Amino acid sequence: MNIDFRLTSACRRGTAFVVALGLIAGVARASISIENTNIQIGGFFSQGYLYSSDNNIPTADKGGTWDFREMAFNVSDTFGAHLRVGAQAFAQSFGEIGQDKVILDWAIADYNFNSWFGIRAGRVKYPKGLYGEALDLDVVRPFILLPESVYSPILRDFTASFDGAMIYGSVNVLKSSFDYKVFGGTIPVNPEKGVTDFYNDGGGLFAAPTGATSLKMDSVKGAQLVWNTPVNGLKLVGSYSFFTNLDAFGPFAGYPPVVLSTNIPKFSWITYSGEYSVGDWVFAAEWQRTGGDLLLAVPAIGYSGGEFIGWDGWYVSVSRRLGDKFQVGAYYGNNQVRTGYNSSNPADYQHDSAVSLRYDLNDHVLFKIEAHYIDGTYETFDTPRIPNPTPKKDTTLFAVKTTLSF
Amino acid sequence: MNTRSLRRFGALAFIIAFATAAHAAPVIIANKGLEKEKLDVATVKAVFLGKKVAWDVGGRVILAVIKTGPVADEFLKANVEMSSSGFNNLWRRLAMTGGGTAPKSFESEEDLRKFVAATPGAVGFVDSANVDASVVVLTPGA
Repeated sequence: MNIDFRLTSACRRGTAFVVALGLIAGVARASISIENTNIQIGGFFSQGYLYSSDNNIPTADKGGTWDFREMAFNVSDTFGAHLRVGAQAFAQSFGEIGQDKVILDWAIADYNFNSWFGIRAGRVKYPKGLYGEALDLDVVRPFILLPESVYSPILRDFTASFDGAMIYGSVNVLKSSFDYKVFGGTIPVNPEKGVTDFYNDGGGLFAAPTGATSLKMDSVKGAQLVWNTPVNGLKLVGSYSFFTNLDAFGPFAGYPPVVLSTNIPKFSWITYSGEYSVGDWVFAAEWQRTGGDLLLAVPAIGYSGGEFIGWDGWYVSVSRRLGDKFQVGAYYGNNQVRTGYNSSNPADYQHDSAVSLRYDLNDHVLFKIEAHYIDGTYETFDTPRIPNPTPKKDTTLFAVKTTLSF
Repeated sequence: MNTRSLRRFGALAFIIAFATAAHAAPVIIANKGLEKEKLDVATVKAVFLGKKVAWDVGGRVILAVIKTGPVADEFLKANVEMSSSGFNNLWRRLAMTGGGTAPKSFESEEDLRKFVAATPGAVGFVDSANVDASVVVLTPGA
């Protein structure tokens, strides 16, 4: 469901005013329950500012951009002892991506038979790694940008949820427990989504300015297993998923009058994660490998070809709460192309060092500030929406953000 | 330290000891309809983590929690093995991603107890000093 709803500049100022009013007057409320019912409503609004010194990374932000905001509104209700339904509308502006269009982020019917078996169907959040289902939730982490090596913000609108079904549950084993999720479905995709920038990067496949004009995919399937270990605060996670027949079409860059069609028969994601919470500290590390064959065809001229695409990404992070109000965090992430990796070629890797500071004004309003030093230009896109015709080897990125949640 | 100072110190120590004693231990309270519900330690954890959403005796689990404070800290650490901030983050995450219905949150234990007493399926925790006959206390077995 895509509803064309774009905020005007005046509307943006108005929204900022409302947030400011909330800060000053303290009008923000907790997630709201309707009296004498099980209906709950909630949501968040965040507005940030991104400034990059050199390259447009992770989006068009060289010299600074205010096009960095997210908003969501959800409502849920329960029926009987086992059935729950709910939905969330979401909009984002991330440089040129999102454009404040309201989309259906998730909409589920969930029937929980017991603690070890439940079924969730509809538009369901996509489990991947520690934070794949919570990409937009500023309130649950100190960082503004999750490590790009595992959570590419360009892919947020593509990998946040899927249409299909999931079975899930939790099984106790001795002094630990295992939470599992197994899912299948498909992901609605169109050229407006951030994934299109992967196809349009460098202009080698599809001709600018249109780039890929049509995308589709058959299915996504996957599973996740979380081991809540006997060590208090330590959990280990394994996630695997794959897309089948991810196709893109558009004018061929080598000869725009004809159509290039691409097909990725299978693109897989495997992620291993660990998180350890002890006292005021949270330590986390994740490693991810992606990959699949990209097949190319230009039937009009009888051309066909292909190549393997994929990357290895990992990061380590640490954060610490400082009293009730502050939280500091830092991470180091590494991302590199899987094939033909050459450590002396900045285009083959990206090293991202980040430090963050979070301040909670109250339970519902927070502020964050973050700085990155990014070395290497891997996944530094050069597309009509994220231009980097001559990327520099390294870049400094600053971000500030405030979030109102209820 | 002279005699007067010793008396003052003793009085202060008594006040502190009394205040500490006034904060007993958190207990699980539930609506009277759950009197026959059997709980063990793992079930308590599953209930407060949102993994068990229906009672064995029937009806949906309705969670009620104290927002912050030593009672919440102590209960969550002992029964859920989480800090208050970790617990809040977990539920924010579940509620915002379609993973669960967030607990009802209360500023005062008295309000929480009244809610539990009036709401079938409701369960929460309060300091044992704030329990009355309007609710039942559920004690987890081994």
